Amino acid sequence: MRLAAGAFIGGAASRLLPASIPFRFFGAAVVYHLLAWIALGADPQRVPRFAGGLGWPLAALHLVTLGVLAMTAIGASLQLLPVATRQPVLSKRWPAAIWWLYTPGVAAVALGMGIPAPRLLAGGAVAVVAALAAYALLLARNLIGARGMPVVIAHGWAALASLIVVLASASSLAAAYVGFQGLARGMALAWHVTFAAYGFMGLLVLGLSYILVPMFALSGAPNERRARVSLSLAVAALLLSASAASGAAPEPLRIAAIGTGAGAVALHWWLMSIALKTGMRRELGRSLALVRIAWFMLSASLVAALGIVLAAPFDGIGALFGLLLIGGWLLTFLLGILQRIVPFLASMHTAPGRRKPPTPSSLTAERPLSIHFGCHLAALAFLAVAILADSPWIAFAGAVLGTTGALAFVTFFAIVVRRMSIPGVNGKRREAPAS
Amino acid sequence: MNARGADGPLAQARRWVEADGVHIDVRGLQPPGPLVAILELVESIRDATPVIVHHERDPQLLYPELAEIGWRAVRLDAEAGEVRLRLERVP
Repeated sequence: MRLAAGAFIGGAASRLLPASIPFRFFGAAVVYHLLAWIALGADPQRVPRFAGGLGWPLAALHLVTLGVLAMTAIGASLQLLPVATRQPVLSKRWPAAIWWLYTPGVAAVALGMGIPAPRLLAGGAVAVVAALAAYALLLARNLIGARGMPVVIAHGWAALASLIVVLASASSLAAAYVGFQGLARGMALAWHVTFAAYGFMGLLVLGLSYILVPMFALSGAPNERRARVSLSLAVAALLLSASAASGAAPEPLRIAAIGTGAGAVALHWWLMSIALKTGMRRELGRSLALVRIAWFMLSASLVAALGIVLAAPFDGIGALFGLLLIGGWLLTFLLGILQRIVPFLASMHTAPGRRKPPTPSSLTAERPLSIHFGCHLAALAFLAVAILADSPWIAFAGAVLGTTGALAFVTFFAIVVRRMSIPGVNGKRREAPAS
Repeated sequence: MNARGADGPLAQARRWVEADGVHIDVRGLQPPGPLVAILELVESIRDATPVIVHHERDPQLLYPELAEIGWRAVRLDAEAGEVRLRLERVP
């Protein structure tokens, strides 16, 4: 039996899901990415001093967090965690059902925030919370009895615990918009931001990085003991932050949380640097350039968080923190990873039986990715300047650049999917090697 | 840990030569160690010598990497609990 990229897909013991499952999550993420930039441009007046509240900036934020970040994380974790845990996904119907519940739910939440329409927002929130709860069950089922890669599995459990806090706080916040009182708003908001960005998404990103970065760089597995210390510090930082939000000694606890989080980040960054420095593959292109920029932005977000705690004399510090955390770190990181794994997974999933299966580099599209790279970084820079200068016009220009970059990313994704279905695409190499 | 160093994945994997090719046993290595060890061995081979891989699971992430460098995998019969592959250059 000949095996090429993807030939193992048909094997009964395969831990890979059918291509349609991860690609529907990635496809939705790519579209929501475009919609997020459009939503941001719909009300640039409020962007430089954004501090929450219903409207298009909040819709744009949630199109990114729910529509791009969580959507990609679900697709990637459903695909990669079974490989790490050596456990197949419980059922192929669950991920598909989650997508059908989650995707329109995110649209309803974003539209409900943007218009604004609190009842639409609440309805969408119910669908999103239900879908994420189902995903949490699927994740837990996969992690129970997992074998191998204990560091990745530990990150998975910590991310799962964070997701539960996120769902509880999100439900409370969404219910408040339609008149139901739950947790105190300030506490719920602090828990929601911290556990969504640094907890659920952050820990999934850090954990999956221990698979993805060495895999891209072709290096050995990172030191397990140090990775565990990094995770312990990150969890301690989350707990300190949660305690601070509950009202007990908020300033000292928040400073301690930031310091502990910085320790976790520094250790993780060091382990990743070793993987990149010692790997067989040194030329990692613009996808890893985005990942490196994202790591820097993660560190910068902690500095901005310290500015908030110490009441820095700058009105835009909250907006700057959000930009660094969501746009700078998580979005930049995931777009860097996505442009690398989409052609890779496409190659793995391409139907068997071809004498010469397509390579990842023959499936990718360099020109759209090059345009996206420039536009994405320019958009982030424009938004940072808009916040510093309190300029809606510069924010609008940033949104236009971001929209252009997102369109280029949609083009990249469409090209990969199209090439997946063309027989003999590898007959001649169309592009330079994957970024 | 240096991927190519004395403590790298290739150094940790057991290797030997038989009539049917160069064998490498990557069982017990922490991911992505098996992937790295196999690719490092494959890239060191300059002629048509096949590589026989002894693995504990289907190395799903290996196949796109092999395709990228012009190699492919052929599944061989193996005992229960082992996945055995012959890697060969695509002619």
